[in-house]
Amino acid sequence: MTLWEATQHAFALLFSGDAALWHIVWVSVKTSVIGLLLATPPAVLLGYAIAMHRFPGRRIAVWLAQCALSLPTVLIGLLLYLLLSRRGPLGPLEWLFSQSGIIAGQFVVGLPVLLAFTLAAVQALDPRYAETARALGASRWRVLTTVLHEARYGVMAAVISGFGRVISEVGCALMVGGNIQGETRTITTAIALETSKGEFAQGIALGIVLVTLALVMNGALMLLQGEAHTAGGRA
Amino acid sequence: MSSLLIVRGLRKGHGERLLFDIDELTLDTASAYVLTGANGVGKSTLLRILGGLETAQVDSLVFDGQSFSLHPYPQALRTAIVYVHQHPIMFSTSVAQNIAYGLLARGEPKALVKKTVEEAMAWAGVDYLRDTAPARLSGGEKQRVALARARVLRPRLLLLDEPTANLDGSAREGVIALIPTLIEQGSTVVMACHDRDLIGLPGVQRLKLRDGRLEYRSRSERNIEP
Repeated sequence: MTLWEATQHAFALLFSGDAALWHIVWVSVKTSVIGLLLATPPAVLLGYAIAMHRFPGRRIAVWLAQCALSLPTVLIGLLLYLLLSRRGPLGPLEWLFSQSGIIAGQFVVGLPVLLAFTLAAVQALDPRYAETARALGASRWRVLTTVLHEARYGVMAAVISGFGRVISEVGCALMVGGNIQGETRTITTAIALETSKGEFAQGIALGIVLVTLALVMNGALMLLQGEAHTAGGRA
Repeated sequence: MSSLLIVRGLRKGHGERLLFDIDELTLDTASAYVLTGANGVGKSTLLRILGGLETAQVDSLVFDGQSFSLHPYPQALRTAIVYVHQHPIMFSTSVAQNIAYGLLARGEPKALVKKTVEEAMAWAGVDYLRDTAPARLSGGEKQRVALARARVLRPRLLLLDEPTANLDGSAREGVIALIPTLIEQGSTVVMACHDRDLIGLPGVQRLKLRDGRLEYRSRSERNIEP
């Protein structure tokens, strides 16, 4: 099959509403969104805490957060596999080769991205915001919500980058999910499998979906940040 | 006149270097002070310490007859003292919400907050900015909103860091005109400044930071040595 034929076939699959294909997309989006929703609160709070406080070992915390960004996802997959396998400490959960396992993986893969980007966004924010809040008598919690509100475009960028990382990663989803058809097959694991079988059409179709998702998410972020600029706010 | 704040043995250093070592700083109730001194002498730092935004060593601190330590910064001082930046920053909400911020943080009832904010906007002459994005305000407008934002809290001690710096013409006059009414409402006001018009406001006493020491000039001395 030539590339041209494969691409034509890919579009046919996309527009004919191929159930298997759209189920794969659904599994990917669902696990990514849930993993990200779970990772966002702790990552944002931790990023905020590291950015706002001076404590011994702070530089080490920043260093580790940055390092975690470049951790290969297969390594995270291996670690989770060992934890979740029958003899592992988390074995009784029976999450290996299930969507819960993939969600756990997305959580671990997404967390450092969210943390590091939130940390950077809060650190880049003018310190007078937090000072003004404190000077006007805000509680710790109110200072936090005020600062995160002022850094909201940075935090949003963190969430979108996190989404980009989890939906496009393949190593962890493959090892922990197991690429089971109709169960744990995600966009990326399906592309890897179909390509190895020489079936390019579905791979190309899923690739188109992935790129479309990336375009839509980042376009939305650009629009939001554009509005921030015209409103005189900070990006 | 009773003392509002007495601080003894106030020391602040950056690394090895001692910025200042103040034997005693006394501020009276409902009085106005200007804090002068060359650039980099630590005027802002002193105000920020009193406002609980920076740490320093203090031997003793008495506020309104009660002893406090500075670390951690006590809630009683947090409620009574408000610091305003040289270039105030506006939260990206609305002008009214900026002014309401401290009142809402204190958990005041919404109806009272609304009424107080309306009054404060009229006082500061910023009614017309109600629907303007705070980031679009001019320097003078920001300073007036910041004063209103602090005033609604009825602080016992108001610390203004160069309130007229980088303002000129009517913007500067607009800010200067608000200062006496702050003192009239019973607040003690300390302004770090170079501005001659602020130093010349009636009844204002002068504090000068020089070589790490605080020189206190009472009103009578001021008449002899302007």
